[in-house]
Amino acid sequence: MTSTGSSSSIEPAEAAGKEGTGTAVPAIGAARVDLAIGLVTFNDASTIPGIAAAVQASLDARQVPASSRILLADGGSTDGTVARMREALGPRASDLVEVSYPRLPGDLLELPYHGMPGRARALRAIMTSARDLGAACCVVLDGGLQNVTPHWIAALADPVIESGYDYASPFYLRHPFEGALTKGVVYPLFRALYGVRLRQPATGELGCSARMLETYLDDDLWDREGAQVGVDIWLAATAATGGFKICEVELGPRAHRSRGEAGLGLETTIVQVVGSLFADLETREEVWQRVRGSVSLPVIGDEVTMTLEPREVNVERLIESFRLGYRELRDIWSWVVPPRAIVELRKIANGPSDQFRLDDELWAQIVYDFVVGYRLRTLKRDHLLRSLTPLYTGWLASIIPQVRDLSPALAEARLERLAVAFEAQKAYLMSRWRWPERFRT
Amino acid sequence: MWQRFQRIVDQAMTRITDNIANFLPGVVVLVVILTASLLLAVITRYLLLRALQSLDFDQRTKQFGLSMRVDWSWHTSPSLVIARIAQWTILLLGLLIGLTALDAAIPSQFALSVFQFLPHLLAALFILVLGGLVARFLGRAVLISAVNMQIQQARLLSLTVKWLVLIIAAAMALDHIGIGRAILLMAFGILFGGIVLAMALAIGLGARDAVARAIERQMQAPERPEDKLDHV
Repeated sequence: MTSTGSSSSIEPAEAAGKEGTGTAVPAIGAARVDLAIGLVTFNDASTIPGIAAAVQASLDARQVPASSRILLADGGSTDGTVARMREALGPRASDLVEVSYPRLPGDLLELPYHGMPGRARALRAIMTSARDLGAACCVVLDGGLQNVTPHWIAALADPVIESGYDYASPFYLRHPFEGALTKGVVYPLFRALYGVRLRQPATGELGCSARMLETYLDDDLWDREGAQVGVDIWLAATAATGGFKICEVELGPRAHRSRGEAGLGLETTIVQVVGSLFADLETREEVWQRVRGSVSLPVIGDEVTMTLEPREVNVERLIESFRLGYRELRDIWSWVVPPRAIVELRKIANGPSDQFRLDDELWAQIVYDFVVGYRLRTLKRDHLLRSLTPLYTGWLASIIPQVRDLSPALAEARLERLAVAFEAQKAYLMSRWRWPERFRT
Repeated sequence: MWQRFQRIVDQAMTRITDNIANFLPGVVVLVVILTASLLLAVITRYLLLRALQSLDFDQRTKQFGLSMRVDWSWHTSPSLVIARIAQWTILLLGLLIGLTALDAAIPSQFALSVFQFLPHLLAALFILVLGGLVARFLGRAVLISAVNMQIQQARLLSLTVKWLVLIIAAAMALDHIGIGRAILLMAFGILFGGIVLAMALAIGLGARDAVARAIERQMQAPERPEDKLDHV
């Protein structure tokens, strides 16, 4: 897998952008740095001062003074993001390096679930610059984060710098209802197929080593179709399948400013997130077919416990959504889901709402059926993934009452059972993958 | 008298013999052309079938999403359908060419008019096939989106879009081959005008109260807050 090369370039101080104040920027390549902190921003003037303050405090607090650079890849902000960043950094502004990357007009046509158009190109530019700087560790943060603390940067960097990890993935504290797509599809599928229990592979933050950077930059993932949307999952998958030393770090809750992605419909989110993972599975067929079981990851940092704001979800509406989907889309589902499973879905759809349950095994099989349907292009991939939405709402309606009154630990244990079911059903996926026609009945 | 009758019969017999002598080579040519086209059709069908099968055409058709959602059995696979179409096209062309060899006015004119008509017919067929594909695609897209938007009449909406596209495609195809152009336009006008008028009358007369109640309910109903969940 070879890269076509990076298209990034590092702006000198004077060309640091029209918003820039002309602060001197150190020449690249003058000295190796220990830590590169990459920031991906797009109209984040409201959140960037907080991030800058956290970065500054984190660097000041490091017990062993380390040389560092702050790499800013801005997606063409018009709200003064870059100027505010430089201003907020104060004396650390001399460490700021603006990294430019090609921005295409088409980026703005599709709003990704992470809210950052052209994110893959921005990350590639940051990683290329970090490698060129000889950084031992590169931490990437999203510019829309609202609650970054100095602890975050240290938590993501220290495992790499001090403990030799190649990839540090954040683990955010979330309400049991939040991140259901990650918990119900992405994590169990990622774990069952790649054999690594990485619980939040779609997050936008990470810490990685120089070795990991080299691997990323040599990978062809940047040029794949859908890279601007699915890059975070693909980076996590590269780390998980490449034999790298991985850990999770406890970062507490994550608050993120919406760049419009909050208004993204559920079906579009499913197309983007699940589609990215399905596309990745296709490219790593040789890898995941050899994986058996899964390994847990060391979790670094103290477990954050705090009372989360209670959430109310209208389960009845979710059930209605599933029933409507069953009534109108079962013909489409039957293209990918075997008749036996359709019968099970009929029983669930016709049953009383208070007994509405979608078994873990059935849910795992359905997700695997969609994986196979995606691979075989049984129908247009976009249609296939969109038709998964009512099934997902059905699963959500089933799981919410089960975790509603549980403590976070017990809710986690419940989701662990789901992940185990995905692992147990992996043989089903492999059979379907190899002999899809056997499952017509 | 008898001699005169004999002369007339002889002349008639001579004319018949001459006509047969003139016509017979044409028949021979027709038979030869038909035999050749039959042979060519069989060979083409065989070669085309082999070529399509070696290209894994049936599987690729499914992958491109063009399969018609029928369980293609061995005797109705897409490759076989194409091979059969090619075979019958060659046979038909052979027959038409053969008819011109007869040097008879009506068959020749018929063949010529068919040849002139053929491009229009093929274009119309292309429009129909394309329209069918677009209708299926749009119908499915509308159905899935409407279900995800929790529209109860998703199926009706989808069928409406599908049939609208199909009817437009059929009308374009018929227009292309020049069948009932004026009637077609009139039918469209009457159909759509009728639908709009029927809806207006239904709402204005029959369902006035129901519509008023529905609007009232909509205005008074408390807004159901959306569940703001971050799914990722």
